[in-house]
Amino acid sequence: MRKKHVKHLMLAFMMSAALITGCGSDGGGTSGKKTEGGSSDDGGITEFTAFFAVPGSEINDDNEIQQIIAEKTGVKVKETWLTGQEAEEAIGTIIAGGEYPDFIEGGSGNPQLLDAGALVPLDDYIDKYPNIKEFFTEQEWDSIRQEDGHIYWIPQFSNIYGEEKACEHNDEAFWIQTRVLKWAGYPEIKTMDQYFDLIERYNKENPKMEDGTENIPYTILCEDWRYFCLENAPQFLDGYPNDGSCIVDPKTLKVIDYNTTDTAVKYFKKLNEEYHKGIVDRESFTQTYDEYIAKLSSGRVLGMIDQWWDFAYTAGDAIKSAGLDKQGCSYVPLPITIDESKTNQWHNSGGVVNAGSGLAITTSCDDVEKALQFVNDLLGQEIHDLRFWGVKDTDYQVNDKGEFSRTDEMRTRCADTAYKASHMCTYSYFPQWGGTSRDGINAMSPSGQASEFYDGLKNDVKECFDAYGVKTYVEMLGTSEAPGPWYPMWSYSNNFTTSTDGGMAWTKIGEIKHEYLPKVVMAKDFDKGWDEYMEKYKKCKPEDFLAELQTEADRRVAEAAKYK
Amino acid sequence: MESTENEKKRRKKSSKADVAFTVFNSIFMVLFVIVTLYPVLNTLAISLNDGTDALRGGIHLLPRKFTWKNYTTVLEKNNLITGAVITVARTVIGTLTALVTNAILAFIVSRPRFMFRKQLSLFWVITMYVNGGLIPTFILFKGLGLTNSFWVYIIPGMISAFNMLVIRTYMNGLPDSLVESAQLDGAGYTTIFIKIISPLCKPVYATVALFVAVGQWNSWFDAMLYNRMSNEYTTLQYELMKLLSAVTNIGSTAETMKNTAGAVTPASVRAAATIITMLPIICIYPFLQKYFVTGLTLGGVKE
Amino acid sequence: MSGKRKKTKQVETEMKVKITWKEIKRQKVLLFWSAIIVIYGFIFYYLPLGGWIMAFQDYKPAKGLLHSEFIGFDKFIQLFSDETFIRVIRNTLAMGVINLVITFVMAILFAILLNEIRQRRTKKVIQTISYLPHFLSWIIVTGILHDALSGTGIINEVLRNLHLIDHSIDFFAHPSYFWPIVAFANVWKETGWNAIIYLSAITAIDPSLYEAASIDGAGRMAKIMHVTLPGIKSTIIILLLMNVGNVLNAGFEIQYLLGNGLVKSVSETIDIYVLKWGISQGDYAMGTAAGIFKSVVSIVLIVIANQVAKRSGEERLY
Repeated sequence: MRKKHVKHLMLAFMMSAALITGCGSDGGGTSGKKTEGGSSDDGGITEFTAFFAVPGSEINDDNEIQQIIAEKTGVKVKETWLTGQEAEEAIGTIIAGGEYPDFIEGGSGNPQLLDAGALVPLDDYIDKYPNIKEFFTEQEWDSIRQEDGHIYWIPQFSNIYGEEKACEHNDEAFWIQTRVLKWAGYPEIKTMDQYFDLIERYNKENPKMEDGTENIPYTILCEDWRYFCLENAPQFLDGYPNDGSCIVDPKTLKVIDYNTTDTAVKYFKKLNEEYHKGIVDRESFTQTYDEYIAKLSSGRVLGMIDQWWDFAYTAGDAIKSAGLDKQGCSYVPLPITIDESKTNQWHNSGGVVNAGSGLAITTSCDDVEKALQFVNDLLGQEIHDLRFWGVKDTDYQVNDKGEFSRTDEMRTRCADTAYKASHMCTYSYFPQWGGTSRDGINAMSPSGQASEFYDGLKNDVKECFDAYGVKTYVEMLGTSEAPGPWYPMWSYSNNFTTSTDGGMAWTKIGEIKHEYLPKVVMAKDFDKGWDEYMEKYKKCKPEDFLAELQTEADRRVAEAAKYK
Repeated sequence: MESTENEKKRRKKSSKADVAFTVFNSIFMVLFVIVTLYPVLNTLAISLNDGTDALRGGIHLLPRKFTWKNYTTVLEKNNLITGAVITVARTVIGTLTALVTNAILAFIVSRPRFMFRKQLSLFWVITMYVNGGLIPTFILFKGLGLTNSFWVYIIPGMISAFNMLVIRTYMNGLPDSLVESAQLDGAGYTTIFIKIISPLCKPVYATVALFVAVGQWNSWFDAMLYNRMSNEYTTLQYELMKLLSAVTNIGSTAETMKNTAGAVTPASVRAAATIITMLPIICIYPFLQKYFVTGLTLGGVKE
Repeated sequence: MSGKRKKTKQVETEMKVKITWKEIKRQKVLLFWSAIIVIYGFIFYYLPLGGWIMAFQDYKPAKGLLHSEFIGFDKFIQLFSDETFIRVIRNTLAMGVINLVITFVMAILFAILLNEIRQRRTKKVIQTISYLPHFLSWIIVTGILHDALSGTGIINEVLRNLHLIDHSIDFFAHPSYFWPIVAFANVWKETGWNAIIYLSAITAIDPSLYEAASIDGAGRMAKIMHVTLPGIKSTIIILLLMNVGNVLNAGFEIQYLLGNGLVKSVSETIDIYVLKWGISQGDYAMGTAAGIFKSVVSIVLIVIANQVAKRSGEERLY
C-alpha cells in the first residue's frame, strides 16, 4: 500500500511541477476554458450557471417548477449563492480564476467585474427582447449605463407594472403594538413626542402582560449593519424618504447630512430622556439579533423602529403561532414625524431603479442570445405567475372572475422551507415585476394581492385597521411619489469604497456612529455626550462624503432634465 | 523499626491528601461536565423544537414544542447524499495520506544523525505563520489543476507543521535503545520507521488522525472556493453551510436582506444541522479514544 | 529516570554530523524523502507567498498580480499611521496572550486531573463529553453565552440571589468584561479538545515510573508533580512555542459575534479590521500588508521563544 502511495505522490509532484512552470505566471483575468456553461443536456434543455454574491436559498436540482419552466423555455439555470464570504472577496477570487458562470450578480462586486472585462454589454441586444425592453423606460435604461455608455446589468427589483398593489409596508417605520392603540382608543399619533408619550402612559397603567411578564416599552436593535433601527430615523422624522445616506432638499437640490440636523439632536435627546426614564430597553445596545427577535416574539415589546422584513417573517409569525395576537401584540406602523408640519415619506410608491447592481451576463457565456431570451421569457406573464404564484390548483386557485387566491393550507405549504426548495422556483435574482399582472386583475405576486393579504391578517390588526378606517399597512402611513430623479441616493452610496475620499469618510462615519450613538443615548449629560460625538464625527471629514453625493445628485438631476 | 514508623506516618498523611485530592477532583469534574454538556444539550433541545416557537427563546434542556421537522428539513436538502459521500471519502483518504506523510516527515526530523534536521524543521515551522492569501493561493491551485477537482481536499493538506511537530515530539520521547539495537541488527531507516517506531506511536497517530479527520469532516471553505460550480464535489458541511448562510452571513446589508426576505433559516434548523454533523464523530470516536485515554503504553498495560 | 533519558537525547541533539559522502549514502532514504517533502512544501506553502507582492500594489483583480500599479510601502504607512490599527494590535495581542495562558493552563490541568480518575468508564465518558463543544459553531456558543449573561440570564440571577449585586450587570456594555468573556468562551469550547494531545502524551509515560514513585511513598500530588508533568513537559513546551507564534491570531468570529458598539474599542481584532477596511472595500493590498505584519511578528516571536528554549535545554521547534 505504501508503494502505491509513493507512486501517486510522485505523479502528483511531477504534474504540479509541469503545471507550475506552465501556468504559474498567469495571474490575469482572462477567461480560460469553460466548465459547463451553456451546455445542452438531453431533452434539448440548455443548462446555464449563475452566481449571486448575496446570501440566498438554494433550490433542489429536481425542483418541480424549475422543470416546468425548463420545458417551456428550454433553459434551466443552476443558481449558486454567496456562502460565508464577503461579496467583494468572492468576486475577487472568481476574477482571479478567470472562470465565470453564465449569469452573475456581483452585488457590490459588480464594478470589479466590469473592470475585469468580464461582462457582456447588453445594449445591442435589448431591443430584440420585448419583455426586457418593456422592463424599463428609455430614461431608466440610460440611468444604468456605465461610464463607457454601455448597459452591463439589469436591476432586478422594485419595478412596478401597472397599478401598484403594495399592501405591506416592506420598509422602515415606527411600529407599535395594537394593544397600546386600542387601550388609548385608537388616537391619531403623528409626532415622535406623541408616540413616546403614548407608550409611557400605557406602560404606567399596564406594566405587565396577561401572564405577568413585564413589558419592554421600547427597544432598539443595534447589531452590526442592522443599526439602521437607531441611526437613520432623523431623515424620516424630517419628512424625507429613505435615501440611505443623506437627505436631498427637493427645492434647492442640496444634499443635507441627516446626522447633524436639529431633528437628529431632538431625536437622540428624546431617546436619551426615555432611556433614563426606563422606557428604552437597557439592553438595546448589547442585544444580538436573535435576542431582539426573542423579545419581540414574546410580545413584551410595545414599540420599536425597524424594517418590516427584518421582523415580520420571524417575530411576526412567532407572535401569531403563540396566539399573542389575541392580546394585541401584533405591530402596526405609525406615520411619525418630528412635528405636525411635516408630511411623512415613510412609504414611497412607484419603482426604484437601483443602478448600482443587477443581473449581468459574463464573457464565459457561449450563447448570450439564448440567455437573454430566457430572461425575456421569465418576464412573460405565464412564467412570471409560475415563479411567484406557483402551479395553478396546487399553489393557488382561480375563481370564475379570474381572481387568484390561496387556501390556508396552500399558504402554509408555500412558506415551508423544504417545499420551497423542492417545488417553488422564483429565480429570485432574475428581473421581476411588482404591481398588477397583465390580466389587470391580480397582483404580480401574492404579497400584493389585496384579498390574499386581508385574509392573512391577524385579528387584532384587522380591528385596528377598521378603527382607523384603513385596509392596509401602507394606508396607515399614506404614500407619496418618489421625490425626484436623484432618488434613491443609496444606489450610489452602497458602492462606496475607501478608494475615494468620500467613501473613506462614509466608512469612518459608520464606525463612529456605531460606537458613539449608543453612548449618546446612554449619556448622563446629553449635551456633553453629543458634543463629544460631534467632535469625533467632524474628524471623519463628512464634507468629503457630502461633496461626492452632491456631485452624483447633480449628475442624476442633469440626466433626468434631458427627458423633460 | 523507626524508619517504618515514619513511613507509615507519611503514608497516612499522603493518603489523607489523596482523599482530599479525590474529592476536589470529583467536584471539578462534575462541574466541568455540567458546564460543557449544557451547550450541547441546549442545541439538541432547540433542534427538536418547533422553529417559530424557538424564536421566543427560553429553551434550555427540553424542547417546548417537540418536532422532528428541523431534521427532515436538513435531511431533505438537495445534494446531501453527494456531499456525505464526498465528505466520507475525503475524510478517509485525507486522513490516511496526511497521517503517512506527517509521520514520515516527523520520523526524518526526529533522527538525531540526520544532517538537515534543523533546517527541515525550520522550513516547516515557518509555514505555520505565513500565508500567501486567498487570491494567490487560488491562482496557484487553478494552475495546478486542483480547482473543480476532488484532489483539492487531499493534496494541499497532506503535511501540516503542527501535526508533524506533535508526532516528532512523541518520537523524540521514545527510548533510543530500541532504535540503537535495531541498527546493530542492520535495520535500515525504512524498517526502523515501519517496524519499530510506528507501532510505538499508536497513541500519537490516533491523536493526529483524529485532528486531521475532524478537520476534513468539518471543512467547507475549500469546497465553496475551489468547487463552487462543481456540484459533484460538494461536501456535507458546504451543503449545510448553504442552508445556514442566510442567517449567518456577515456580508449582508439591508438591501440584500430586503430582497431575500423570508429566506431566513431558523436557529432550530441550524441546531439540527449541528447535531447531524456531530453524530458520526461521536459514533466513531470511541474507536480512536481507546488509544489515548485508556493508555496503551510502552511497557505494557497501565494500571 | 525520565530525566536521564532526556539528557542523552539532548546530547544527541547537539551532535553535529559532518556532511560526508559516507554520511549521505547512509542517509539516502531520509534525503530522498526530505527532497520530495521540500518540493511539496515549496509549492504549497512558499510559492503563494509571491502574492505578498500585492501589499505593495494597488491590486486590481482585473489586472492581476503582474500588471497592477506599484505603490511601494504606502499601505504599511497607512496602516501604522491609523490609530485604530494600533488599537486593534493592542486588542489582538491582549486577547491572544490571555487566551493562550488560560486555555493552555486549563487544558493541561484538565488532562492531568482526568488522568487521575481511576474508573476507566467514567474517564472515557467525561473525556467524550469534554470535547463535544468543539463541534458547536461560534454562533451557537456565543448565543448561549449571551443568553446566560443577559439581564435575566442565569449568571445575574445567581449573583442576585447571593446578594452580591442589586441590579443586573450588563456584561456586554462594559469594555472591562470583554476580554475575560472571550477567554472564558475559548476555554469553554476548546478545553476538552486541547486536552486530547496531553492525554496522548501521558500515555507515553512509562508506568514503572509511577510504581517507583509509589514505592518511594509519593502521594498523588507528588506523582503529578514528579512524574506526570515532567513526562509531558516536551509536549507542553512544543505547543507553547507554537502558540506563542499565534498570539496575533486571536480570532475574528468570536469577537465579531460578542462585540457591539459600546465595547468596540476593546473588541476589534486585526482580522476584523482587515475585513472592514480591506476585504469589504475591495482593498487587497491592505489585507496582505496586515498579513505580512502578522507573519513577521509571529516569526520574530518564535525565534525568540525557540532561543529561550534552547538556552534552558528544553525541547524546541527547530
